[in-house]
Amino acid sequence: MSTEKQSLRRKLDRLFVPLTVGPTMLWIAGIIVYPTLKLLWSSVFWTNPITSQKEFVGLRNFERLIFADGGGGVLGLAPDFVSITWHTIVYVGLSVSISFALGLGIALLLNKDLKGRGWFRTAVIVPWILPYVMSGLMWRWMFQSEYGAINGLLTQSGLLSDKIAFFSDGTLSMMALVIADIWVFTPFIIIILLAGLQNVPEQLYDAAEVDGAGRVSRFVNVTYPFLKPSILVALTIRIIFDIRALDLVWVMTQGGPGKSTEVWASWLYRTAQVFNRPGEGAALGVVLLAVTFLIVAVLYRVFGESPY
Amino acid sequence: MSTKQSTLGQLIAALGLDTENEWSHVVRERLVAYGLLGLYVFVIWFPIYFIFITSIKPTSAVLDIPISFFPTQPTVSNYVEIFQNRPFELYTLNSLIVASTTTIICVTLGTVTGYSFSRYDFIGNKALLLSIVGARMIPPIALIVPFFSIMSNPPLIGWLTGSLYDTRIALILTYTFFNLPFAVWIMKNYFDGVPESLDEQARIDGCSRWEGFVKIILPMAKPGIAATAILAFIFSWNEFVFALVLTSSEQAQTLPIAVSLFVADDFVDWAHLAAGGMIAALPGILFGLFFQQYIVSGLTQGAVKE
Repeated sequence: MSTEKQSLRRKLDRLFVPLTVGPTMLWIAGIIVYPTLKLLWSSVFWTNPITSQKEFVGLRNFERLIFADGGGGVLGLAPDFVSITWHTIVYVGLSVSISFALGLGIALLLNKDLKGRGWFRTAVIVPWILPYVMSGLMWRWMFQSEYGAINGLLTQSGLLSDKIAFFSDGTLSMMALVIADIWVFTPFIIIILLAGLQNVPEQLYDAAEVDGAGRVSRFVNVTYPFLKPSILVALTIRIIFDIRALDLVWVMTQGGPGKSTEVWASWLYRTAQVFNRPGEGAALGVVLLAVTFLIVAVLYRVFGESPY
Repeated sequence: MSTKQSTLGQLIAALGLDTENEWSHVVRERLVAYGLLGLYVFVIWFPIYFIFITSIKPTSAVLDIPISFFPTQPTVSNYVEIFQNRPFELYTLNSLIVASTTTIICVTLGTVTGYSFSRYDFIGNKALLLSIVGARMIPPIALIVPFFSIMSNPPLIGWLTGSLYDTRIALILTYTFFNLPFAVWIMKNYFDGVPESLDEQARIDGCSRWEGFVKIILPMAKPGIAATAILAFIFSWNEFVFALVLTSSEQAQTLPIAVSLFVADDFVDWAHLAAGGMIAALPGILFGLFFQQYIVSGLTQGAVKE
């Protein structure tokens, strides 16, 4: 009896790894590998919106989206493709760089030996963990032309005589999106950089100070080398997230006015769901996937680290 | 004059500014730091404050001009009305069920898998771990087309379940897709920090692998599990895009969708939207205020450590 029990124990022990790793790997295969293959498969079909019949079209979905069929934009690329890519670059570029600079500044301040540091850190993290939809709608309310807080503050304090209609102008709408995005994601940068700053040995600062190194030289020579891995992670995740994030754009501007704030994520959603063109939506998804991997590769190359 | 100076002195002492060495330099430096941090915190909390006061203004007062930044007649009527006029209790229930089920699945699988990856060398463990990292890089939005078609017409189990479109199950399955790779990653890194001598001691004491894991290692991993659970819960609670694509009625729609429904084509019901938004934001605010250190450790463990 007891030997039987023992042999069962040994058998269960031998199965430890398969039983703990197996279910997760199956899950991931089912929920990631299969949809990814399905994405590639869907991208080469055209679905008739009325009859729902599928027709194999090869790479024609990609061709239609990326290259003008006779329209003739820059380099023969489709005008929509060019302008939407440009909006995405502006949106991601501005919000990532500004929130990075701001986040680095705040992280350096929070790294000082201040009383109430924990309290500040708590206060700083909250915007990032609110639902993005709620944050987007909140900023839409802030920028609202008649009753919004920003126009209210500007006109009621006398700084401005007329209210600004933020969402009826493409540039101003983009600016509103960028501000909301910075508001939401700066906490993430702060946290990641703060964790990196805690790896810098205190003695090195003291030594640098004794050597008479100034503030800038201390940052470049002491802080930066230790901070590099954190900067890489913060930038990679931030950029990837901004390219694929739809929430803020969709609830604040829906890509408007006109197409002035349409970005890749909203284009994909509009094509696939609103216009019900799954083949073209899938083709955009494939491009997005490729671009994401390309960006990760370039960033890791630039920072000279291997991806894990 | 002298009282003013002593209050200033007290303030300086309270803030820990009262340092003998290089007094003026240190004080100036710290005052600047407090000033900048205070300004930043004030600016980032102002929008939250504005949506909060909007939610407690009477509906008619929301569109008053000039805008009042201090509510004169606070009321909870907006909160009451969204539960009366819309099925907000269902949205809240959906959010709770979807987020907690996802969290339980991700924490359970993430913990055991993370442990095995941290401790055992098995065939293909590097490749499998790399595929988990790769899965984290896939932009979810790229997959809305296949997820929509898979949930509408599930392969293999379709004959059993029928369409999963507009069900909580579809959301739970989808959210584990975002969160499970992350959970495995956080837990693996966490277990890497738990000394392996503890495993060996358990083995010597006659524990099986399972007993050693459950009795000795798991209790040590509580902070890591807490971090994983909080992040998985918040991510699933906040998710919007897939909820938008995969649901169409209150039998599965979650709070972020419910909030977005206050936006009609040309008209936005701001007072009620603000109340709904505050309810949707509540877990985030509470978790942020009370479990900040777990969120930070989970994020940095999942993202920074290699």
